[in-house]
Amino acid sequence: MLKNYDTGIFFDEMIGNNGSPKRHYQWFYELVEQLTDTELREKHETAQLNFLRQGITFTVYNHTGGTERTMPFDFVPIIIPKPQWEKIEEGMKQRLTALNHFLDDLYHDQKIIDAGIIPRELVENNPYYYHKQVGGLDIPLKNHVFLAGVDLIRDENGEYRVLEDNLRNPSGMSYVFQNRYVMRQVYPELFFEHSIETLEHQFSELYNTVVSHVPENADPRTKPTAVLLTPGMYNSAYYDHVFLAQQMGMELVEGRDLVVKDDIVYMKTIRGLKRVDIIYRRIDDDFLDPEAFRPDSALGVSGLLRAYKKGNVAILNGIGNGVADDKAMYVYVPDMIRFYLNEEPIIPNVETYFLSDPERLEYVLDHLEELVIKNVGASGGYDMLIGPQSSEEERNVFRQKIIEKPNQYIAQPTIKLSRAPAYQEGRFYPCHVDLRVFIMNGEEAHVLPGGLSRVALKEGSLVVNSSQGGGGKDTWILTEGGHSHA
Amino acid sequence: MLSRVADSLYWMGRNIERAENNSRVLSVQMIHMLEATDQQVLDRDWEEVLEICASIKDYYERYDRIDKDTIIQYLAISPLNVNSFMNCMIYARENAKATRDMIPDELWEVLNEFHLDQKEWQERPDTRQHTEQYLKNVMRTSMTAQGVIESTMSRDLPYTFIKVGKWLERGEKIARVLNVFCEKNRKEANKSTDNYYYWLTALQYLNGYDAYIKDHPPTMETKNVLKFLIKESTFPRSIQYCINHVKDAVDRIEGGKVSHYSEGLFAMMDRIQDEIAEADIDSMNMEELMKFLDHFQDRCMALSRAFSETYYLVEPVRVK
Repeated sequence: MLKNYDTGIFFDEMIGNNGSPKRHYQWFYELVEQLTDTELREKHETAQLNFLRQGITFTVYNHTGGTERTMPFDFVPIIIPKPQWEKIEEGMKQRLTALNHFLDDLYHDQKIIDAGIIPRELVENNPYYYHKQVGGLDIPLKNHVFLAGVDLIRDENGEYRVLEDNLRNPSGMSYVFQNRYVMRQVYPELFFEHSIETLEHQFSELYNTVVSHVPENADPRTKPTAVLLTPGMYNSAYYDHVFLAQQMGMELVEGRDLVVKDDIVYMKTIRGLKRVDIIYRRIDDDFLDPEAFRPDSALGVSGLLRAYKKGNVAILNGIGNGVADDKAMYVYVPDMIRFYLNEEPIIPNVETYFLSDPERLEYVLDHLEELVIKNVGASGGYDMLIGPQSSEEERNVFRQKIIEKPNQYIAQPTIKLSRAPAYQEGRFYPCHVDLRVFIMNGEEAHVLPGGLSRVALKEGSLVVNSSQGGGGKDTWILTEGGHSHA
Repeated sequence: MLSRVADSLYWMGRNIERAENNSRVLSVQMIHMLEATDQQVLDRDWEEVLEICASIKDYYERYDRIDKDTIIQYLAISPLNVNSFMNCMIYARENAKATRDMIPDELWEVLNEFHLDQKEWQERPDTRQHTEQYLKNVMRTSMTAQGVIESTMSRDLPYTFIKVGKWLERGEKIARVLNVFCEKNRKEANKSTDNYYYWLTALQYLNGYDAYIKDHPPTMETKNVLKFLIKESTFPRSIQYCINHVKDAVDRIEGGKVSHYSEGLFAMMDRIQDEIAEADIDSMNMEELMKFLDHFQDRCMALSRAFSETYYLVEPVRVK
């Protein structure tokens, strides 16, 4: 499989500097070597079809309407030895604890601003800061982030770094399970020599996390009723919603299925109204309640915020989390960890420059071809410039944008994102990867073992987002401390 | 269960059943047309097919004459015809998509697979052979879907709502087919034409020929056919059977009890059952039969409405 495979100047997940597989990939390598070219090709096709048949798709919208697409699946897994994973786990719990403190602080006393660590205007100018709506509110477990998706990358030395926090509606968890499912179906032989962390009990973990957020005024004698609120089947992540609701045995509701009466939320059933206690919502804040946010939202439920404020319903993730996960606030997360926990960050950030600083700005404008420029409010790989891969024209467009709104952009050195082999069209070639790790947080934090490895399948591309041609890989955490057992 | 979900399940049942029934009608007609020699007769047959599977009025609003290829296209894949098989199957898939957390994965996969294949169908030349394959594919998909429903779903609420949709759709369609044939029979009562061909076609449209001929070999008496398709309670494609099963299904939803909110619904079903029981087919002439069938179709619509209102499937109209 390694014919003509060139690791180049990048850190490779599977292949060492000497051109042979790393120790924790040895078994995998030997098993793949036993498959013929035809087998590999057939299996590859079967796997892709599997996703299509089951309708595991996301919807991409353009000017002609929506198209259902599958996320391409690549069978070479990302294998992580246990000790490394344990460090990631610790790092993620630490980060989430700090971010959660930060959100609660921000909507209450704002100690971190008073201490001069985070500039007030950065908070107050943030469009997702909803002090008016939820300032001073005490929410169940004081927990704002019940589910986070943190995107990790590895640099040229193989060190894990946080690229982005997703504290609002991280999607993609269903793919973790489906990737594993398809992998087991289509490539059972690859599991033979490996002992890896199972994903089996994760739904009960997730469900228990959801229902631990009992609102203040819920009836203590009955089990709380939890629902998953989706914008509906035309949403690009609808499959994710269906899958999670199904697996957790929760009702999948749309805004029109809910109604608020006397500040209590009900769902409309065939037997009349039924009280709802906990809402795992997959609708963004500004669409949640036309009374409190965008009045033109048809997806939300009128009066939901009133019910929330009265302690009659819990909303997960909390309202107003967007202030903590944008690309500007990201820079301060290590400081948050130091401030709230008095610890050093276990998993560092990627070095980031603010462009509001005139000196930095000048440097960045002079070095656009070496840097990555991102819009602090954008996600999904949109409105971003990858310097080394850009044309003169693209750089000029961005130069103009930055000069007009320097506060809207940040710059990062182009990280030599790690790579791993991917199999497409009959050959193996190196592709850049990242890892979205899912952290559940209720009475205690729990990290989903593995996560969603995303891969930029276009050769040389650095963008892993599924909306832009990225694919997925299974992620294996070896249970035997990195040693495979025979 | 959420009302919206119940509504989608109900309509999924209806849409799948509608696509199958209409496909069968067209499929039978495509074979019969090979045997017809008289252009006038043929045109009239096509009008009847249109009346059964869609609306003849809608058709003439768009096209000014009967044309075989236009009709086939209109009935099978035209996006302009809300009842085209393609539209019914698209709706059914969307209904399934909206209720994926309630239905077996295999059911979704069956409908999704049809949808994925459909893209290929659209790209093929519309030859006779392809059309026939397409129709077969619709029917087979419907039957496979029902197989999944019957063999894997618990007999609880989601199952029951799918079935109510299916039985109501089927009952209504039977009445519609019979109405068209009674009309034909009435018009030609004074001609000495052979009824055999009509009733054979009606039975084939409703997939009842094999079952009928076993009970009544080898005759094709008008009244026997009508009795069979209206009152034969053991035949799953008779009006009686469909209504009995709607009633059983509602009984199951209510656990056998009649409550104040379901009173009206039960009363209506009882009345319909009585009306079928009281209809003495042998003594009715064609006008009376048509009146009876018209009346039954109205009843079906009212029943569908009452069912939806009882379980809040539709938003009640706000009085201003």
